[in-house]
Amino acid sequence: MPGPFEYILWFLCTPFEVAALVCALRKKALKRYFFLNLYIAASLIASLGRLQILHSYGLRSNEYAYFYFYSDALLTICLYFALISLYSYVFTEMKAEKYVSLAATVLLVGTAIFSYAVVQQSSTKLVTHFVIELSQNLYFVGLVLTYILWASILKLRETRTRLIQLVLSLGVYFSLFAATYALGNLYPSMGSVLQVLPPLIACFLPIAWGYAFWHLAEEARIVPARLAVVPR
Amino acid sequence: MSRKLTVILLAMLVLVGAMSLKTAAVTHGDGAVIMANGGGPVPPGPWKNGGGPVPPGPWKNGGGPVPPGPWK
Repeated sequence: MPGPFEYILWFLCTPFEVAALVCALRKKALKRYFFLNLYIAASLIASLGRLQILHSYGLRSNEYAYFYFYSDALLTICLYFALISLYSYVFTEMKAEKYVSLAATVLLVGTAIFSYAVVQQSSTKLVTHFVIELSQNLYFVGLVLTYILWASILKLRETRTRLIQLVLSLGVYFSLFAATYALGNLYPSMGSVLQVLPPLIACFLPIAWGYAFWHLAEEARIVPARLAVVPR
Repeated sequence: MSRKLTVILLAMLVLVGAMSLKTAAVTHGDGAVIMANGGGPVPPGPWKNGGGPVPPGPWKNGGGPVPPGPWK
């Protein structure tokens, strides 16, 4: 069972998630950024559910393992839809929503087929293997999509401040996890130190999104030149 | 080529890029999960049984210690 320090790290993020949802509610951004808020709410519920299952069945129980990995997959899918919704907002002026939907569907189906192809040789617990594989693959797809969205924002000279803040924070979130993973592989001896980082990084997204909902008005605009100088 | 086909092609390119990135990440790493519970050894994944390719990623959603795999 985790100790007090692990519990503190685990639930450090919870107040920020609640705060982000409250900020979205107060600033009337709950419906507009529905999938972003859905992801934060789902993450909150998953944490509470994991705590309940952990206390009821224990860390090494099948119940906790199944709940952990299945909830993780659901959260990854929520995050994927949140990212796709950001794509829709960025490309809304180009009337490209239907193409974004098409690409998102193709990518999701393609990732699911690829994941199934990887795990199909597993004779037992095929669904569980598939769920874990799909979750990981979707994360990498999300990572690539986020960088493409960053590039699109620069290229299109997007000016909506709140939207830019939401996308950039998602990119930083992915990048921090990737950097932690890379450091862990480069310096295995730092494993115990790096183990503390993921829960701290997990706090970044609700903080950044909560800040965007609370401090940045939907109508706020930023001068593109301050973001980057992109030759046309 | 129609726009829809172009979109499908782009989506496939993204998928190929993402899977290549993932392959590069896991082959250059030791498969360690940073969120492993208590710093102990990482439980073996279900893909260790004969050619399974991928260890669990480091960026799990939400909180909670990583449990041992359900495949024990």
